Amino acid sequence: MDALIGFWEWLGENFLLAQILIKIVAIVAPLMLCVAYFTYAERKIIGYMQVRIGPNRVGPKGWLQPIADAVKLMFKEIVIPSKANKALFLIAPMLTLGPALAAWAVFPFQEGMVLADINAGLLYILAMTSVGVYGVIIAGWASNSKYAFLGGLRSAAQIVSYEIAMGFALVGVLVAAGSLNLGEIVRAQQGEGGLFNWFWLPLLPLFVIYFVSGVAETNRAPFDVAEGESEIVAGFHVDYSGMPFAVFFLGEYANMILVSALTALLFMGGWLSPLPASWVEGVPLLGDGMHWMFAKTALFGFFFLWLRATFPRYRYDQIMRLGWKVFIPITIVWILVVGLAVVYQLPWWFD
Amino acid sequence: MAYQPDRSQYPQPRPDGSLDIDLRSGKYLKLWQGPQHPGITGNMSLELTVCGDEVVAGRTHVGYLHRGFEKLMERRTFIQCFPIVCRICVPEPDFNEYCYAAAVEELAGIEVPERAQWIRTLILEMGRVNSYLMYLGGQAGAFGQAVIGQWTTYARDLMLDRFEELTGARIYHMFILPGGVRDDLPEGFGRRMEQTLREIEEILEEVREVMFDNAVLKRRAIGLGHIDPALLDAYGVTGPTARAAGVAKDVRRDHPYLVYPRLAFEPVVAQASDVHARADVRRRDLLLSIDLIRQILAGMPGSGAVMTALPNVLHWKIPRGETYIRGECSRGEYGYYLVSDGSGYPRRVNVRGPSYTHAVALLERLIVNVNIADVAALMVSLHTYPPEIER
Repeated sequence: MDALIGFWEWLGENFLLAQILIKIVAIVAPLMLCVAYFTYAERKIIGYMQVRIGPNRVGPKGWLQPIADAVKLMFKEIVIPSKANKALFLIAPMLTLGPALAAWAVFPFQEGMVLADINAGLLYILAMTSVGVYGVIIAGWASNSKYAFLGGLRSAAQIVSYEIAMGFALVGVLVAAGSLNLGEIVRAQQGEGGLFNWFWLPLLPLFVIYFVSGVAETNRAPFDVAEGESEIVAGFHVDYSGMPFAVFFLGEYANMILVSALTALLFMGGWLSPLPASWVEGVPLLGDGMHWMFAKTALFGFFFLWLRATFPRYRYDQIMRLGWKVFIPITIVWILVVGLAVVYQLPWWFD
Repeated sequence: MAYQPDRSQYPQPRPDGSLDIDLRSGKYLKLWQGPQHPGITGNMSLELTVCGDEVVAGRTHVGYLHRGFEKLMERRTFIQCFPIVCRICVPEPDFNEYCYAAAVEELAGIEVPERAQWIRTLILEMGRVNSYLMYLGGQAGAFGQAVIGQWTTYARDLMLDRFEELTGARIYHMFILPGGVRDDLPEGFGRRMEQTLREIEEILEEVREVMFDNAVLKRRAIGLGHIDPALLDAYGVTGPTARAAGVAKDVRRDHPYLVYPRLAFEPVVAQASDVHARADVRRRDLLLSIDLIRQILAGMPGSGAVMTALPNVLHWKIPRGETYIRGECSRGEYGYYLVSDGSGYPRRVNVRGPSYTHAVALLERLIVNVNIADVAALMVSLHTYPPEIER
């Protein structure tokens, strides 16, 4: 790990542009691998929850299944419906995947390990995740299909509504941490109490709302009305095939990982160890580090799959009701509570 | 609390009762659901006119699965019809075999041995368990809860193992013949059946917790698709759909056949008449079937003939006459109308399937002013099997 950080700093001192390019590759390539194996994990985990085995034919225990899927999708013909708007039809998947990857630019994986350490990091992430909705709307429109159109409309309304609850939850974090910089937010959660110092405890309602809104934002079950199978078949990507479909798929899973990672970062202390620093002094792996970030992200990723395997789908108007009439009022009230706690320097977290 | 959309833009009824729908106005969208739509339980199609997210008018279209079985049977000898009748309804084929066999027996004047009657009842109840398990999975799947379908498919597989052991086949058994059943129970069947029933009961308990007590599913299913009990007779609604509306219609009790008079049971009834009540009635009916299977295995005579000797079936002529046989299948009242003109072929076979009355006329009424998302759930809640609608 130290050698890695050393290489990182050495690059920055000598080749700035090359360093940025290498950093981008160093973030995107493992991310794509994570996305591929997240789909494998999804099929395996949901398989076991549904008393079946899941993929187990390609490679040992099905380990090569994601690779086989990717190869299959790459070689498939890209069918463009004859009445579709060709340019928009092909731009839409890129508009979904692009922001999902771009958001990682400000993401600190570890102390000092971030591509762009900007001060408005949280704002940038909020902006990037919002841009993703254009891909969905444009796909729904460009396909010139009724089902895709309905899916696109539903998705647009849903994402815009949950963006607000999500934004308010982030305002709570920002008030508590006193900074928009993601690294600063993690450092604000440092303390002698270990995991009790993290923001999930004082911001518990915001934590829950942020994660649930994240599920809604990524169009995942139980909020997957945009692609509800028994209702509108596949929603906005019903007419997509081959690589454009794969790009949508990658975007969706990259977004899921992003939401999981952000939840871990903002509420669960990011790369911080859950044990108090004085206990783990010098013990390998128990101290702060990127592996904690990864473990926490994996935990929230598992929640995504768990929700999908357990819940039926909400009806569209019920989702809207939950977002506007339940989540937004709760977040507003809790921002006030957090504000008061910060002003009066509530011990443990804000003193 | 409940969501009420703005319905002021919806089409107005004309004096003759039809709706004033002008598709060129841009207010409405015509949406075809089916026949390949994943929310439709088989090959039929719904022509929906939607305004916003709600259905304002719906028409059901059948004709994608017409195989002409009834006509086909008129050119086949009585015994040749058996491989055909069981294919009328895929998930519950035994009802067709029983109804057809009973009709032939009545016209030909054949007595069925007592033990064969017990075995027939056993098979019908086993088929009912299969059919309900498939339904529960489908109902949860229509709400987007895939896990229940996988669990109940596993449970159904356990029952299919018992079918395989008893009849040699898993789906189309062709076990019930005129004069009795093909074979006696295998050695130790009751013990293995008891084990299967226990496993199914365990799975059902989990299904109850995960599906019926689920807050999201309750929120969606309760109050959805209410059928007024006064409409039941007008639309010919029978079976669990009627029982969920508080009307205790059950052919097994009202017009007993086979050995049902000797079994102790009461029809399962619920009052709410919505999707949740219908699913719950079927779940409890499934438990009742499990109880009936136990009663049958306990009360069955120890031994005896299972088949009456038939004349040479290749030259079998059945006296002139007509009859109607009814029975309670998992979807409602099932009936066979059989006419014989004294030749070796049936003159006319007419199948009265509950899916037809439920899914064609009643569904058109239910899907009006319903969110698009609920159309599939409503269709499944009537327990429709398109192969049975069209024969």
